[in-house]
Amino acid sequence: MRVLLVEDDVMIAQGLETALRQIGAAVDWIRDGEQAAAALRGTVFDVVLLDLGLPNRDGISILRELRQRGDATPVIILTARDEIRNRVAGLDAGADDYVVKPFDLDELTARMRSVLRRAAGRGGPLIQHGDLCLDPAARSVEYKGAPVNLSAHEYAVLEALLQRPGAVLSRAQLEDRLYGWDEPIGSNAVEVYIHGLRRKLGSEVIRTLRGVGYFIPKS
Amino acid sequence: MKSIRARLVIALTILVAMVSMLAATVTYRRVLSETSVLFDYQLRQMALSLRGQITMAPQIEVPPDQGDSDFVVQIWDLFGTRVYLSRPGLPMINQIVLGYTNLSLRGEGWRAYGLQTAQGVIQIAQPIRVREALARAAALRVVIPLVLLLPVMVAFVAWIVGRGLLPLRHVTAEVQRRDVHGLSPLVAPDLPLEIAPLVNELNRLLARLEKAFLAQRAFIADAAHELRSPLTALRLQLQLLDRAPDPVARRCARERLGAAVERSIHLVEQLLTLARSDPGETSPTLEPVDLAVVAAAAISDSRILALTRHIDIGLDAEPSSVVQGESEALRTLARNLIDNAVRYTPPGGSVRVRCRPTADGAVLEVIDTGPGISPADRERVFDRFYRHPGAAENGTGLGLAIVKAIADRHAAHVRLAEAPSGGLRVTVDFPTERASPRSLS
Repeated sequence: MRVLLVEDDVMIAQGLETALRQIGAAVDWIRDGEQAAAALRGTVFDVVLLDLGLPNRDGISILRELRQRGDATPVIILTARDEIRNRVAGLDAGADDYVVKPFDLDELTARMRSVLRRAAGRGGPLIQHGDLCLDPAARSVEYKGAPVNLSAHEYAVLEALLQRPGAVLSRAQLEDRLYGWDEPIGSNAVEVYIHGLRRKLGSEVIRTLRGVGYFIPKS
Repeated sequence: MKSIRARLVIALTILVAMVSMLAATVTYRRVLSETSVLFDYQLRQMALSLRGQITMAPQIEVPPDQGDSDFVVQIWDLFGTRVYLSRPGLPMINQIVLGYTNLSLRGEGWRAYGLQTAQGVIQIAQPIRVREALARAAALRVVIPLVLLLPVMVAFVAWIVGRGLLPLRHVTAEVQRRDVHGLSPLVAPDLPLEIAPLVNELNRLLARLEKAFLAQRAFIADAAHELRSPLTALRLQLQLLDRAPDPVARRCARERLGAAVERSIHLVEQLLTLARSDPGETSPTLEPVDLAVVAAAAISDSRILALTRHIDIGLDAEPSSVVQGESEALRTLARNLIDNAVRYTPPGGSVRVRCRPTADGAVLEVIDTGPGISPADRERVFDRFYRHPGAAENGTGLGLAIVKAIADRHAAHVRLAEAPSGGLRVTVDFPTERASPRSLS
């Protein structure tokens, strides 16, 4: 899961970055409104956490630009503006959710899962596919009814591939889901995680399309 | 209770009473003098008409007693013997005076006329009370209509006053509808000239109140909003501390938690300082304050921060840079300026603090080698919670607002300019020594 964190308060951003990395998300942090808008034009994120009061450009205006392009990336507004009219304005500008500071970390991650679920068109909290069952809240996986122990990165790769079964994700696309801009990437990290997954789940679950990437076939 | 209506009614009654008395007195006097002339003439005419009848005195035909005129006729012969008295049984007037005269007889006043003829003396007398009764009646005739008119006038005045005061009742109802949440101006059409200024002043007061309330509400809203950020950081770090997977992460979370606590404390302190610096707060106690002492104290407050950031702080103080002010507040002012300068100046830079007397007061200057503030931002940086883009991390946005509030209290002027080094030069210009702190206007 790749998260764009747009937040001008250093302390809050550092805390959020740490917390999201702990749950295996790739976090890109931007303090400036103009730079955030530019990042959204160039990179695909799974979810955006957007503060409203930003230097150089207001969060609402960034959100409007995103939606005018027809970009449906889930956006959660993260702000100290708690008045009803602010919430209404934020949601009407295209936000998927609105969280008021100071928020609870568990609630925020639950809301992130909720917007991701809706973005994937799923109703239930579990991701079911054939013999595989993912629980994003607990970050646990069951295969053929038995729990499977995955590392955070293995889980992230599996979750990314299960978001749209049948779609092929390249190594670069998978790396994007695993690492933020400033995180070092091992040269064959993705291959290592795929290998680990195949070892734990059997070689048939994840297929390779030679020269293109990896996919989980539609059942 | 002082009722305008009651006062008017009392005043009117007194006025009518006085007018009535005056009119009665004047009428009485005038009627008395007019009837006196008439009756005197009548006395004389009667005496003249009796002149030829003295000889047949006892058979004299005196006009029958006319009741209220009460004439008494006496006739004496040449020997002084009374030969006729028209109304025996009445007290006698034994004096013979020729011409008009006033007599007193058993406590009653009489007017008499004596006429000397060849045969004797004729005297006609009449009690003065007759004349007085006439004058009294005339005076009463003047007073009665006035007295009868009084209730009508009172009722009319009461009605006029009631009508005149009707707008006041309307204004009262309007004022009753006002509270701290609705301080809109009073709407009262067709006000009398006497009440309009009151309503205008009330509206001006309401406008000032509303402004003050809005400012206060904005301050509280701003403060609540600004408190959310450090609290968010606190909560985040606390939760991260709880779920830290290893000792390294735990130590990191604890350090950040500590920093977040420090930041919250700093913000709350700055908020309290700003609230205390509000011009409306308690009137300050003024004393002569040497800016050099204040600046030195403020520099020592910022010394540790300057050391960690490798900033060189220097003080150039000229003697007798003395102003009238509050030393604690001035130290806070200087500390905020120096703190800002230290925070914004890149490591290795320098901060110069200067104070010197001027022709009409003293000046405090803080000059740094930081990035400065663009002219476009120089007004806005004094706004509460305003942080210009690129502002130092975790600043409260209150430092310069506090500086401004304290300067305003001392009637001092704060100017931002570019220093020769390219950094920021803040000049606080304190006016004359008798500078009275600005009171809430």
